[in-house]
Amino acid sequence: MNLHSQTRRHFFHDCGLGLGRIGLASAMAGGFANLARAAVNNPLAPRDTHFAPKAKRVIFLFMAGAPSQLELFDNKPKLRELDGKPIPPSVIAGQRYAFIQPDAAVMAPRFSFAKHGQSGAELSDRLPYLASIADEIAIVKSLHTNQFNHAPAQIFLNSGHPLPGRPAMGSWLSYGIGSDADDLPSFVVLKSGGNLSGGAAMWSAGFLPGSHSGVPFRESGDPILHVSNPSGYDDQAQRDSLDLIRTSNERALGTVGDPAIQTRIDAYEMAWRMQSAAPELMDFASESQATLDLYGAKPGDPKTAFANNCLLARRLAERGSRFIQVYDSGWDHHSQVEQGVTTKALQVDRAAAALVRDLKMRGMLEDTIVVWGGEFGRTPMVEASAALGRSMGRDHHPQAFTMWMAGGGIKPGITLGATDELGFHVTEDPIHIHDLHATLLHLLGLDHEKLTFRYQGRDFRLTDVHGHVVKKLLA
Amino acid sequence: MRRLSVLIPAFLVLGFFSRLGAEEKVSFSEQIRPLLSDRCFKCHGFDDETREADLGLHTHDAATRDLGGYRAIDLGSPEASEVLLRLVSDDPDDVMPPPSSNKPKFSPEEVELVRRWIEQGAEYETHWAFEKPVRPDLPEGDATHPVDRFVDERLAEAGIAKNDRADPSTLLRRLSYDLRGVPPTVEETNTFLAESQADPETAWNAAVDRFLASPLYGERWARDWLDLARYADTNGYEKDRPRSIWPYRDWVVDALNADMPYDRFTVEQLAGDMLPDPTIDQLVATGFHRNTMLNEEGGIDPLEFRFHAMVDRVATTGTVWMGLTTGCAQCHTHKFDPILHTDYFSMMALLNNADELEIEVPSDEVGKQRAAIEKQIAERETLALAEVDAAQVAAWRKGFETQRADWTPLAPVETKSNLPFLQVEEDLSVYASGDFTKRDVFELGFDLSQLGFESPVTAIRLEALPDERLPGGGPGAAYYEGRKGDFFLSEITAFKGGEALALDDASVSFGKISVGSGKAEGMNIFDGDGSTGWSTATREGEAHELVVNLAAPVDPTGRLDVKLLFERHFVAALGRFRVSFTSSTGEVTALDPVLPAGDATDEEWNLAWLRLAPEAAELRKPIEALRNRLPDHPTTLVFAERPAENPRPTHLHHRGEYLSPKQEVPPAPPHFLPPFAEGEPANRLAFAKWLVSDRNPLAGRVAANRAWRAIFGAGIVDTDDDFGYQSELPSHPELLDWLAVEFAESGWSFKKLHRLLVTSEAYRRDGSVSSEQLERDPNNRLLARGPRFRLPAEMIRDGALRASGLLSEKRGGPGVYPPQPESVTAMAYGNTAWKVSEGEDRYRRSLYTFAKRTAPFAAYLAFDGPTGESCLPQRDRSNTPLQALTLLNDPMFGEAAEALAHATGLNDPSNPVASLDAMFRRVLTRPPTESERDEFLAFYEAQKARLQSGELDPVALLSDAPADRAAEIAAWKMVARVLLNLDEAITKG
Repeated sequence: MNLHSQTRRHFFHDCGLGLGRIGLASAMAGGFANLARAAVNNPLAPRDTHFAPKAKRVIFLFMAGAPSQLELFDNKPKLRELDGKPIPPSVIAGQRYAFIQPDAAVMAPRFSFAKHGQSGAELSDRLPYLASIADEIAIVKSLHTNQFNHAPAQIFLNSGHPLPGRPAMGSWLSYGIGSDADDLPSFVVLKSGGNLSGGAAMWSAGFLPGSHSGVPFRESGDPILHVSNPSGYDDQAQRDSLDLIRTSNERALGTVGDPAIQTRIDAYEMAWRMQSAAPELMDFASESQATLDLYGAKPGDPKTAFANNCLLARRLAERGSRFIQVYDSGWDHHSQVEQGVTTKALQVDRAAAALVRDLKMRGMLEDTIVVWGGEFGRTPMVEASAALGRSMGRDHHPQAFTMWMAGGGIKPGITLGATDELGFHVTEDPIHIHDLHATLLHLLGLDHEKLTFRYQGRDFRLTDVHGHVVKKLLA
Repeated sequence: MRRLSVLIPAFLVLGFFSRLGAEEKVSFSEQIRPLLSDRCFKCHGFDDETREADLGLHTHDAATRDLGGYRAIDLGSPEASEVLLRLVSDDPDDVMPPPSSNKPKFSPEEVELVRRWIEQGAEYETHWAFEKPVRPDLPEGDATHPVDRFVDERLAEAGIAKNDRADPSTLLRRLSYDLRGVPPTVEETNTFLAESQADPETAWNAAVDRFLASPLYGERWARDWLDLARYADTNGYEKDRPRSIWPYRDWVVDALNADMPYDRFTVEQLAGDMLPDPTIDQLVATGFHRNTMLNEEGGIDPLEFRFHAMVDRVATTGTVWMGLTTGCAQCHTHKFDPILHTDYFSMMALLNNADELEIEVPSDEVGKQRAAIEKQIAERETLALAEVDAAQVAAWRKGFETQRADWTPLAPVETKSNLPFLQVEEDLSVYASGDFTKRDVFELGFDLSQLGFESPVTAIRLEALPDERLPGGGPGAAYYEGRKGDFFLSEITAFKGGEALALDDASVSFGKISVGSGKAEGMNIFDGDGSTGWSTATREGEAHELVVNLAAPVDPTGRLDVKLLFERHFVAALGRFRVSFTSSTGEVTALDPVLPAGDATDEEWNLAWLRLAPEAAELRKPIEALRNRLPDHPTTLVFAERPAENPRPTHLHHRGEYLSPKQEVPPAPPHFLPPFAEGEPANRLAFAKWLVSDRNPLAGRVAANRAWRAIFGAGIVDTDDDFGYQSELPSHPELLDWLAVEFAESGWSFKKLHRLLVTSEAYRRDGSVSSEQLERDPNNRLLARGPRFRLPAEMIRDGALRASGLLSEKRGGPGVYPPQPESVTAMAYGNTAWKVSEGEDRYRRSLYTFAKRTAPFAAYLAFDGPTGESCLPQRDRSNTPLQALTLLNDPMFGEAAEALAHATGLNDPSNPVASLDAMFRRVLTRPPTESERDEFLAFYEAQKARLQSGELDPVALLSDAPADRAAEIAAWKMVARVLLNLDEAITKG
């Protein structure tokens, strides 16, 4: 074999395209060949979807720590009956738990439930605001996941994989359809309520180009790192400096000819635009008092951090961000689930419902998907531990849990899926995290099987080798 | 497989595409395999579990098999080959690849290639990367440098014009970044320019020698290796607590500076612990595979995450030494490469037989400090003892006499556990090792007759003993979530003659629980509640005891069984303990194990009183204070091969899932490569040696390719992490093999390899690109021009620090904390503080920045720095607005700009040109051009004017404003900041 002479020809034929590590296979297969060209210059340039999208963006209200579905959505009278009795071994055998032992007893739901709206959606008394928009949302009671610990489960819900290293959903979206915002990040991460177990892996671009990473907004100092001028600089000094940088870089482009210099020139200009867009974004002065009241938001007040973030999420959505991840931590009620859920619901219920209402009033709900949910559910069994000083809590439960969704092509006013009488296992319409991902991508105009990236010789997907679009959720 | 219509499309019969040149031989490796691999092998490849229609196209035999009157590939009648019919079918049910696969249909040209290949005999060839590299002859040519012979040949064939050599200052800057990761100093540049004038070749070689000999060399290349090693200073996952493994990082730097041969470098990192009489350094080296993450989240299954770490180790080993995506075979036989599912777990078995220890790395410095403090302690104690009141001691001592029982330690005659390995030690204690779970049960059988008691047994004592093999020195086996060395004894049950014995009155010498608010009383261990128990948290590394009385004394003969239950939300078994029995009657309670024996001397009792007695607390306060100041030796994480009696079995896992272990798999290298040498035991050491032997055809190729990419910007194989069937074809296959052989034959010397690359003409070309070059070879794979690309994150920071004169030359030691906003680590779990280092630690090389996995140093992350979460063979080189914001506005770069202003701006106030020139030369290694000089000075004057007029405040602009010339310095800082932001400043030009 004459490897050498053969290679020469084929090198030019096949390899000289300058595609580097971008998803050549998907570019060809998916029929969006413009991806290749666009990626060379601006990896965030808008790109065509696989088919006409229903939604343009996602606001994911991520209830980190895992809210108790049994206290909020999934009414199980049987648990009241069995309160204090052990779960039958036939149900619990072979399940792994984080803290409790297999002989843990059943604990009755702490709150009463009622039906709401024309759809008759059943919700606990902790969610009065959500109850008032019951006909706008789809409640899904049949989510299940693979992971029973926070960090892996949170990363799983974001990236379809339990370990760090895979791209987050927002990164896939950025890679798939680019950005609509030219002065703000497209994939934004907001946070309230304390510790996040999954950490930066949850907004990492993984093996995708780094420019698809989520941009976390910081809770103190600059919301976007270094978006303010350095001390002593006014805007003119900043602009003068940028002008000199630009002149120098343009001259270099002229002599050296490297297109990367043009990309850098563009990046500096976008940085400049971001510097003025960010303060405008963060300034709620243009919001009416009625809007602030709707959310229960008080600018700058850490006690209403989640409400403030919901409002900020709407402002980001208006300005072109495509994936806005709003984390709210503090839902991990291993002890005293009754007080815990009460406290968290008071912080979250009003603002989450307000977001849906507000988007609807502004005509944005139809192309904005709002998702509310955590990384798994909580056990029908009680958690108590002398060593840890815990009582009347619930442990992690990956087998069945609840989320709600609204807008962006989600069918409103439905309740999908069901669990057994203990709330232990899904009995109807099981929806795995991979299915959720497939469905969200579908609404955004992307076929989850075609959105691939070649890495280490393999075409990776958000949904790995799994996932089905949940047709019943589509409007 | 169902047979398709026998009607053969006309264009197949007629050889419609004969214009492609029917006479030319089709290459399986380059033309056919990439097509089959990408579009067919997923369903018709190596994995027989997912093979469709029972048809494999991965071997000649499989593809030409008789399928019942027809064949996928029919050599007798090529046009009748089922494969061809399928490729051209218009019927969506018949066409291959099927539309549902999302794989592109074969183009007419591709079909024609396949047809001709079949016609020519459908020969399969071994994949080039799986054949042993042989040194090819150098191509003919004028070039003296072997690399250039290969490069020139390709360029001549392509007809692309080569650039001239770059100017000397550009070259020196390029070389300095490549070999040392920092720009040259102005002095170094002056020397080089002068020497170049005399003799460019001698000057170049001298510069290469100087840079290779610099200690900065090891630091620069260590960064690349640490990307592969997924090095970081924290454990990763949720809590992401700090770990101490920086001695491994320093080992890498030292090894590279010493030019340790790659084979030894490999063997020590993978199996240093298995070398005969390993040195501490060789143990430290095994940190390579201890860089896996550790999940400390409460309630995890620790063995699940150990499995994930093993998965990472197999994938990383495959990537680093074989350039193979072995990780793909975790769930099933590799779809594209001949790696079987069992190969994967056989490789895991080779790596899977180690225990994971934390060892002390003795430091002379710490040793000296300890000796000095210990001397002071001894002196103080002597002084204090002189004042001891004998009566007071005697009274204290008497208090113990009545509680003291006669204990007889007894070794169990039988031990059993759910998983940990229990071994009886010489002192009759039991040592537990191996793997632990969240719920461990130890069952110990005693033969009471061995006690020789005449009276009945009245009580049992359990001593929890420290042991340096255990985490935190023991006595527990806890290594995550809880305190290292902690344990939690939930329940003790004792049986005699099948009957559970009633227990009564338990006491402990010390009890404290960590991670929780419960009490650690002795009585907890027989209350039937697993969530209460005994623990000795905060006093790890010490001995403690628990004494439990039997409600009714038992016959001191025959068998007595003791069961210990350890149940928490983390591993909490005892690691070392001893059981004793007594027949003493009366008040039998636990005593502090450090109390002297009953017959100890008065001096011993005096010392014990001083150290332990409540009434001596005041007296010993200064001594305790000294003891608290005793510094610890640094520690690091290492491998230790398991004892022969307790090998860890490795199982194949169905679909790669932790919860689906199947049959046990023997350790072995992948079946498609040569086996271990005859007589080698199949273990980690043999694997390490094999990886860098001529039995692994990939070792040299992958390493040489990595060096090539680091220097030229793209690999000869640009899929660095994949040399398998799906890999990109090499741009210069013969050059790659030549380099691989040269690297091995030169004694696996990295320095020689690097010298070879940077002394080539290809390396020294000007980096500018013509539109023709851009059109024909946009990524410069043929090297008509010099390498030009953005510097890695660390070099950007190190370059700015060095140009401004701030860069510290301090080497090694624990990670440091350069300035960054607190909000960066506030995003991480636990709202971790980032306490910015003081003094020169603020300006250490970026290699030494504390690497927190869940909140990497923000400026590095912005420039595609690693997270340390997995092996990173190839960094992205993105170009983003966030990078612009970092360079423009991050105060860390502001400090560099200010230092640069001080270093150059104050030289000669009447001569701003000189200041500007000095600044340019420090940052860009060249003076400004005339027009640059004009523009920058105009900018300087304009800003100075604004500063002087009060439009801008120099005091706000500067962290340290000199009273007299604040405006000037501030203006120079603004100039310096612009320079540091230029594309050229952060680019290897």
